[in-house]
Amino acid sequence: MKTLITKAEEMLRAWDGPLTQDLVQQPGMFGLGKVPSRLAPDDTTTMVCGYCSTGCGLKVHLKDGQGINLSGDTDYPVNLGMACPKGWEALTPLAADDRATTPLLRNAEGQLEAVDWDRALVVFCERFKEIIAKHGPESVAWLGTGQITVEELAFLGALGKFGMGLVHGDGNTRQCMATAAVAYKHSFGFDAPPYTYADFEESDVIVLVGSNLCIAHPIMWQRVMRNRHRPEIIVVDPRKTETAMAATQHYAITPKSDLTLLYGLANILIASGWVDREFIATNTTGWDEFSAFVVQFTTERVCAETGLSAEEIWHIADTINRGKRVSFWWTMGVNQGHEATRTAQAIINLALMTGNIGRPGTGANSITGQCNAMGSRLFSNTSNLLGGRDFLKAEDREKVAGILGIDPARIPQRNSLAYDQIVDGITSGKIKGLWVVATNGAHSWIHRKAFEDFAGKLDFLVVQDMYATTETAQIADLVLPAAGWGEKEGTLINSERRFGLVKKVARAPGQALSDFNICKLIAQYWGCGEMFSRWTSPEAVFQILKELSRRQPCDITGIVDYRMIDECGGVQWPWAEREGTSNFEHRTSNIERPEAERRLFEDGKFFTPDGRARFLFEAPRAAAENVDAEFPFVLLTGRGTSSQWHTQTRTGKSDVLRRLYPAEVYVEMNPLDATRLAVVEHSMVAIRSRRGEIRATAFLTTTVQAGHVFVPMHYAVTNQLTNPEFDPYSRQPSYKSCAVAIRGLPDGRWRVGSG
Amino acid sequence: MTSERTLIDELLAEQQSLTAVARFARQHENGGVPAQARYYRELIPLDKPRPGEQYAFGVDLDACTGCKACVSACHSLNGLDDDETWRDIGLLHGGTIEEPFQQTVTTACHHCVEPACLEGCPVRAYEKDAETGIVRHLDDQCIGCQYCVLKCPYDVPKYSRKRGIVRKCDMCQSRLAANEAPACVQACPNGAITIRVVSKSEVTKHATPGERLLPGVFDSHYTKPTTSYATRKSMPANARAGDATAVRLEHAHWPLIGMLVLSQIAAGIFASASVIAVVSPQHFASVKAPLAIVGFVVLQLGLAVSVLHLGRPLGAWRAFLGLRTSWMSREIFAFGGFAGAAAGFVASSLWPPLAILATPLAHLTTLLAFVGVACSAMIYVDTRRAFWRGDLTFTKFFGTTLLLGSAGAGALLAWFSFGEAARAFAIAATIIRTALFGWELLQLEHALSEKNDPTHGSALTIWQLLRPLVFARVVLFTAATATGLFAIGTAGATMTLFAIASFLFTFISQLIERTVFFTAVIAPRMPGPFAR
Repeated sequence: MKTLITKAEEMLRAWDGPLTQDLVQQPGMFGLGKVPSRLAPDDTTTMVCGYCSTGCGLKVHLKDGQGINLSGDTDYPVNLGMACPKGWEALTPLAADDRATTPLLRNAEGQLEAVDWDRALVVFCERFKEIIAKHGPESVAWLGTGQITVEELAFLGALGKFGMGLVHGDGNTRQCMATAAVAYKHSFGFDAPPYTYADFEESDVIVLVGSNLCIAHPIMWQRVMRNRHRPEIIVVDPRKTETAMAATQHYAITPKSDLTLLYGLANILIASGWVDREFIATNTTGWDEFSAFVVQFTTERVCAETGLSAEEIWHIADTINRGKRVSFWWTMGVNQGHEATRTAQAIINLALMTGNIGRPGTGANSITGQCNAMGSRLFSNTSNLLGGRDFLKAEDREKVAGILGIDPARIPQRNSLAYDQIVDGITSGKIKGLWVVATNGAHSWIHRKAFEDFAGKLDFLVVQDMYATTETAQIADLVLPAAGWGEKEGTLINSERRFGLVKKVARAPGQALSDFNICKLIAQYWGCGEMFSRWTSPEAVFQILKELSRRQPCDITGIVDYRMIDECGGVQWPWAEREGTSNFEHRTSNIERPEAERRLFEDGKFFTPDGRARFLFEAPRAAAENVDAEFPFVLLTGRGTSSQWHTQTRTGKSDVLRRLYPAEVYVEMNPLDATRLAVVEHSMVAIRSRRGEIRATAFLTTTVQAGHVFVPMHYAVTNQLTNPEFDPYSRQPSYKSCAVAIRGLPDGRWRVGSG
Repeated sequence: MTSERTLIDELLAEQQSLTAVARFARQHENGGVPAQARYYRELIPLDKPRPGEQYAFGVDLDACTGCKACVSACHSLNGLDDDETWRDIGLLHGGTIEEPFQQTVTTACHHCVEPACLEGCPVRAYEKDAETGIVRHLDDQCIGCQYCVLKCPYDVPKYSRKRGIVRKCDMCQSRLAANEAPACVQACPNGAITIRVVSKSEVTKHATPGERLLPGVFDSHYTKPTTSYATRKSMPANARAGDATAVRLEHAHWPLIGMLVLSQIAAGIFASASVIAVVSPQHFASVKAPLAIVGFVVLQLGLAVSVLHLGRPLGAWRAFLGLRTSWMSREIFAFGGFAGAAAGFVASSLWPPLAILATPLAHLTTLLAFVGVACSAMIYVDTRRAFWRGDLTFTKFFGTTLLLGSAGAGALLAWFSFGEAARAFAIAATIIRTALFGWELLQLEHALSEKNDPTHGSALTIWQLLRPLVFARVVLFTAATATGLFAIGTAGATMTLFAIASFLFTFISQLIERTVFFTAVIAPRMPGPFAR
């Protein structure tokens, strides 16, 4: 009887049906394992991610050639099948409903109005030519990006300077990587991050300065976790970040005291004889001056300035000394500082003096920000002439002119203004026309108020972007709709110098065109189409870039074509023709294949004229703005979560990513300060700096030191507070230290006792 | 005539051609074998669970550093809706100024040994797989009552308005069946999530009262969750969830508010009829019909409203399947009996040949109505949420029953000119109203001032976010009491008017009380982030 009832009951339970079928999985083939049947691919292809500089390989699941889903590419040497949430969601923002689908021109009523490409291009050329005719070639500038492909950056840079005759162009890479580029260039003779990600796995000591790898570069942290040498992991960061928690040693120094700490460590290492005298003698210059200089950084002084104890400082030095393979890594905590270049070089100095360079698991290693910041550094034709060359050198100009088949006179004989100088130029009225490509300065620029005022200062502002809704597009006179990552072909260069391929797996919406194609059209309408007659496709430009790289440190003449990049799992520069021996079997062709992971300086030879690395140093100085009675808190800014990317133009378009970060701006502050200010958690506080005031929700956490507050950079209001101070060498903004005041606000809630 | 194709036309056309497949050779020899398996092989067990064992998630907290890849991988590889996630990342933090502490926590379904979702489901849309122990949700069986959402102390089942059903993590059972790792396990860059085979009796043994998966999380004794969180670090005693101090409102569940209050009015009216039948049989004969009809109509209204709560009401007839474990099933069953008896009472009060049955049917209806109200209360008590504790919920539900029953009966009797009886009920209503409201205010005051009171959080929610509702109820209480007293002191049409007004004020007040009941409850969940 009982079984009968049970059976009858079971018959009334629906084990299958349309709702159940929604989630049914089937073997995905293509090495994927099971996939939702609804999203079963009929093919797959691999490409690199277009968010950060880690440069993960993604396997895009295709249906009729179109990407319908994706997963990490197991065989890609960078990420071994993993991806962060941004990568997993990379296709989603392409389908956002606020994509720019036609050119938009501001009409007489002040509204952005759809126009066709012909009209947009005519206006683009007329207006900029008018301004140039009236105010000269220096009156029009562009602000580029680290988010578009190498080929597009090269086209933009060549078109801007050689075709349109502009002098000033810079990129948002100024905000993230300029410091590393300048530091390397001066110390090593070329902007050359020496490492490969395998170094994370090979080190026995990993020193991370100003780098929250777990959140900012989780897939690099993956490589740290794969390290089988039980490494000591030292994190230097004012905050107890996720990475600091996971480290074996954390040093919460006073903000912007890193330079002093690094010199102090150098002093201890030298005084204790913990240096590699042979390496120093053979491969470096400037040692005597440097070792004399650091004597003043006594442990007492370093303790006083960093807030660390003598034991702690000695423990760091001792750990570095005991390490056989010590790698030093830095990110924005260093790069975004008022003496950032010297700080980066102080890290480089430590690696040089301990001989920790050119060997597995070593290096002075800058972790880059954007997916193609490295491409921008070599080929954007902004601060460097194409291929890492110098605008000021006649031979470099002639070389480039020869390769491109243009008149050397078309190449400017002076350097471009940096981003902040372009902003100043606009403010002072010298620059009247601005072309912004794939960046959102009205949100991200330090003390962004300056950007908001552009609308009144500029005669003509063009924004070329995937979205018509960015803060910057909103103030534009003309918006050019751009195709995004996944809607075009090209290459990106990641942090470890690896060229990776981007492919076309989605159709751009409406009339959006790739930045490459937009450049091509502008060239034609501007009247310089002839100059770019060889620039027919991204891959054709790649061949030109190969020529431009020949015999430069970044020589890539050995990379045959896109297919080789695809088949090799990306190729690191340098890979020169006929260079190197191959450990790889030839799979489909007779191309010599590079090893998957290569590092620089294995022979101890650097790119300086004498082949020696330089010890570069300078006395630390205080930041322009320090805390005082009126503004008693240090404001730190940085990445909030791994699911947020910069100004959120893309990550804000994915429902899943949006679930993974707080929708509203918040401020992390220490409970001690909160108690003192009678601020309770989840209440609103006002944060005021000399430049503005914002409101944010308070989150009380001991991970932020008393006297500091942290606000993520992803909220547009954050940069109303930051102080426009710049590193004098790299012109990179100092986002991570300014003085603010905090006060609690009534938030409309009643509270017990205060009701 | 053909116009010349411009460069713009050419480039627009080129932009629309997808080239990835054509331009780049495919490389997927042996495509049936999952490439990622080489990295996740050691993260999943080699052997299937034996009898008495089941699969469980293991989380190495030291390897969880907050990248959240597991959440999006789960989303993508399971083909979930745009805003749907089955895994979540939260935060524990605390420590001291010298030793700050933070720990991100990845969490999904704990595939409990005694799943509360499964017990609560009225239509048996949950199945604990006999071999794997995975708690599966049968999507096509689900009627969208969302009771599992209330029952689960870890906030796992998620309701999809679009689909009208709940969905949840199934530990990628079809992947595990094919020796593949679940999506989250595959996608964690640090290998923080593993699948382990655990003994159910061991899990049960360790889930002693007071045991918790993590600080601040619900007592494991309730459902015996199988996930284990491991860390080599020491968790500070003050570790708390990122959202520990977040004050938020839960869903109001309007249809449930309507259903509860209306069904309790009906129960109260039938109870009033029973009282009249006992105290004054001669009156009963003349008032039974209006009382029965009004009670019946109000009950039907309540039941009709409750259907609006279901995502897929057509399957609700299966609700008897859950009778053995689900108070939701029992409530539906009890209300079925209640409605049947009420219909009988209506018939007996209208059709003279059945008049003899009117009194027993009135009593039967009242009895079943009270059983129904008790079942309603048990639905909430059984979630083990502090604010829905037995004494609180029963007092509220039966208090409402008696209050609105007497106030309603009073108004009704006044309408039919039974002034004396109406007065008696109005007096009763005034006493009950005062007692009930006074009790509620005392509860609130106590919970607000006592930090250790289990309902302190709910009291804070009320005080911080719902204070206008408290004030509104004070006003309504005063109005209802004043009009009630006027009704007691007057007669005829004036009395009727005041009695009806008093009832309406009370009714609105109780609707608000029930809104607070749903919105101010603290729903237990895993540690959340600071904010969303």
